[in-house]
Amino acid sequence: MSHTPKKVFVDGPISPQFVADSIAKHQSKTTIGAHNIFLGQIRADEKENGQVTGIEYTAYPEMAESVFHQIREAAFEKYELTCMHIYHSLGVVPTGEISLFVFVSSPHRRATFEALEFIVEEIKAKVPIFGKELIGEKGEFVWKENQ
Amino acid sequence: MTLSILYFGMIAEATGQPLETWTSLDALTVGDLKEDLLKKYPALRDRKFQMAVNQQISDEAFPIPPLAEVALLPPFAGG
Repeated sequence: MSHTPKKVFVDGPISPQFVADSIAKHQSKTTIGAHNIFLGQIRADEKENGQVTGIEYTAYPEMAESVFHQIREAAFEKYELTCMHIYHSLGVVPTGEISLFVFVSSPHRRATFEALEFIVEEIKAKVPIFGKELIGEKGEFVWKENQ
Repeated sequence: MTLSILYFGMIAEATGQPLETWTSLDALTVGDLKEDLLKKYPALRDRKFQMAVNQQISDEAFPIPPLAEVALLPPFAGG
C-alpha cells in the first residue's frame, strides 16, 4: 500500500482550532471507531542562563519529508489504520504552545494506541529536525537534543 | 569529484556557513570526508553529528558517489 506524501511542516505553533478542525473533518468517515492524538507542547524548562521561552525549529526539509513518508508507510503496514496525519512546526514556537500534532484513526482503539506511540518515537529518533531552546530576553539559546 | 555539503543547526554555527561545494581529486568514503572536514573546521571536533549521503544516514565506510549531496546533521530535536 502506498500513500501520497503529505505536507507535514507548518509555520509557527499549531493552534488548538486546527486540531479541532482536523477532528471535525473525520466525522464523515464512519468506518472509524477510534481516534488517538498526540500533542507535543513546549516546556518552560529552567536552564543555567534562565527559563526557556520557546523553541526555534529548523530542518533538513527534503530529507525530513522523506523520513516522515517512510514512517507513515511503516505505520500503515504495521497497524490497522484508516488515516494518519502528522504536523510539525518550523520557526519559533513559544512555551505552552503546540509543536507536534499526530492524529491516527482506526476502526478499533488498540491499533490507535500502538500506532501513536510508534509514530511519535520514530519522529523523535529519525527525522532531521533541529531545535534551539530560546532563553530569557537577550537572545541566548541552547541546542535541544532528544533523549 | 564535486559534492554539495549542507550544514545544519549547531554544525552550521561551527562551519560559519550553511552549505559549500567540495571538490576532491580522489574518491571519498564518508569517513574520508569527515576527516577532511574536521581538519578544515576544528570546531566540529567537539560536536556530535551524523552524516547523510543523498538523504540517507551513512556510516564511515560508505563510498560517496559523484555529485552527491552530503549533510552533517546534529542531534535531532523534533517533537
